[in-house]
Amino acid sequence: MQDMTSGKPVVTDTTSTILDRAAEAAARATPDTLAKKVRGLSDRMVAWIFIAPTIVLLLAINIFPLIWAIQLSFTNYRANRPNEEIKNVGLQNYSRILNDADTWMAMQATAHFVFWTILLQTLIGFSLAYLIDRKFRGHAFWTTIILVPMMLSPAVVGNFWRFLYEPQIGLFTYIVSFFTGIPTTDILMLSSVKLAPWAIIIVDTWMWTPYVMLICLAGLRSIPDYIYEAAEVDRASNWRQFWSITLPMALPFIMLAVLFRGIENFKMFDMVNLLTGGGPGSTTEVASITLKREAFEKWRTGFSSAFAIILFVAVFGLANIYVKVLNRVKSR
Amino acid sequence: MADVSLRNVSKAFGDTQAIDDLNVTIKDGEFVVLLGPTGAGKTTTLRLIAGLERPDNGSILIGGRDVTKLEPAMRDVAFVFQQYSLYPHLTVYENLAFPLRSPSRNFTEDQIKARVAEIAKLVRIDHKLENKSTKLSGGEMQRVAIGRALVRKPSIYLMDEPLSSLDAKLRGDLRLELKRIQSELFSTLLYVTHDQIEAMTMADRIGILAEGRLVQIGTPREIYTQPANLHVAARLGQPAINILPAGLLPADAAPAGTKTIGARTEHLTIEKATNGHADGTVDWVEHLGDQNHLHVTVKDRKLVTLAEPDTAFAKGDTVTIRFNEPLYFDGAGNRIAG
Repeated sequence: MQDMTSGKPVVTDTTSTILDRAAEAAARATPDTLAKKVRGLSDRMVAWIFIAPTIVLLLAINIFPLIWAIQLSFTNYRANRPNEEIKNVGLQNYSRILNDADTWMAMQATAHFVFWTILLQTLIGFSLAYLIDRKFRGHAFWTTIILVPMMLSPAVVGNFWRFLYEPQIGLFTYIVSFFTGIPTTDILMLSSVKLAPWAIIIVDTWMWTPYVMLICLAGLRSIPDYIYEAAEVDRASNWRQFWSITLPMALPFIMLAVLFRGIENFKMFDMVNLLTGGGPGSTTEVASITLKREAFEKWRTGFSSAFAIILFVAVFGLANIYVKVLNRVKSR
Repeated sequence: MADVSLRNVSKAFGDTQAIDDLNVTIKDGEFVVLLGPTGAGKTTTLRLIAGLERPDNGSILIGGRDVTKLEPAMRDVAFVFQQYSLYPHLTVYENLAFPLRSPSRNFTEDQIKARVAEIAKLVRIDHKLENKSTKLSGGEMQRVAIGRALVRKPSIYLMDEPLSSLDAKLRGDLRLELKRIQSELFSTLLYVTHDQIEAMTMADRIGILAEGRLVQIGTPREIYTQPANLHVAARLGQPAINILPAGLLPADAAPAGTKTIGARTEHLTIEKATNGHADGTVDWVEHLGDQNHLHVTVKDRKLVTLAEPDTAFAKGDTVTIRFNEPLYFDGAGNRIAG
């Protein structure tokens, strides 16, 4: 109750006594808080006690290793030789990575994998969502069926597809051979340099298209019916309705799905490791496989830390740019 | 523009009979308002004419052509929805131009530009043509939605409570504008509302719908002064008509068979009781500013009527009440012409 211009209190005696009395009454009526009961701790303190375990865990598992990795990335430390002297090598690790043909190969393999999986998953996922959104008979049943691959563990999926890809007994090879006439022994999905990158793209698409479909479906369902009805009365063809209503209004959702899948697949490790282990040669050696080889086969801890930091910055930077674009699309 | 007829149209949704044997004709250039409570079948009637629903029985004619089985696009109607059904990612200009860009219409870009400019001026949105439709206020959005219907010259404009989501002031303004636009364009318009004021002020004819049936159709004056039955009488008038059993108050002129008497403000003469004779007691005087609502108790009945702002009545006053040519209804609720 302050006069805004002069800053002087303008409360008269009567109002101030009334306010005082009201405050007293409120204080009396308010029961003691939990904080007061817990031996005079403030509410703030109690709040801290509740979130402390989470913060400690987060620091111990995420933040501390990150900081340590940054520190290690400037050294020649090797985790299998803990007694060796640790030398500070400055930016040498970084310059070696950026000039190393092998890491660029890995980045290319990753880009190839990310690009094609996103493209296929978005196209197929959106098409499926569009079909499911027609609400035909049994659409709920088919939605559930389509979602099954996503619910499986990547380890299970990896092992399972290794069987499907088997040249001798694999169902996938059998079916392909049945329709194309190519002998099964020539379809070496996992050991042919040409086919192996596509083998992992197929599996990832099989597994994660449902996820993209789900997000696209949410987007399609968010478009109210009356917009379509208005367009219908306005004589917009189905084709025009799709391009001028469905796609623009579902676009933020599609972009969100692309973002999630992009980040996930940039650091794809488990499934590729199980299917090909980066082989044959290094044709399916995506960045995280290279990282694992450097860190836990060659034991170049400092070097691999630098690589991890580079990857982290790349994903983080790309994701940030992308989110900016996404926000612009959403606010259109 | 053309006249529109519904002939014996019925439509059910599951077990609910939304429209029951509806017959109505909207003449060329006429502004017809369908008035009725929620669930009376008003919106369904519009959707049937637009082709967004198909009737179970009966036929729909637009300009003499049977359109019952045609797609919405082929019916040449324009629809304004209750919700702001704008295309959210398009500008106001693009929203208004949208119906004109249909390939079947063959407009050049210059023609579209001229037409949009004309309509934007008419609905007073020409200063915001480049705005995104999501950046408009509610009133502006609905003006764009109305504009998007007006931009074409269809056989009939169908409007589904276009003003109901707006605030009172804006509703009043747009009501006037809509009537002005309609008379300027001499357009055929079927308008649905549950607001009696919108119906009374805008309509050439009002159709009263109840439970999927057309109870009465006529000019606002006819509907008000000669309601077909109690239901229609109760829909119009502010405060609502007083429905009193015959015999509660002396009514010498009542025709034979009168069971119920409907009395609006203008049907009642209320005076302060003199020489000890009284019909009722003033219960409460409700001050509305420009006028007062007078609540009177007559035996076990309550009665509400208008009184002048400077009324001399006060709570507790005893009064005499006389009818002045009220409405008489028979046992079935139908009005007895008197």
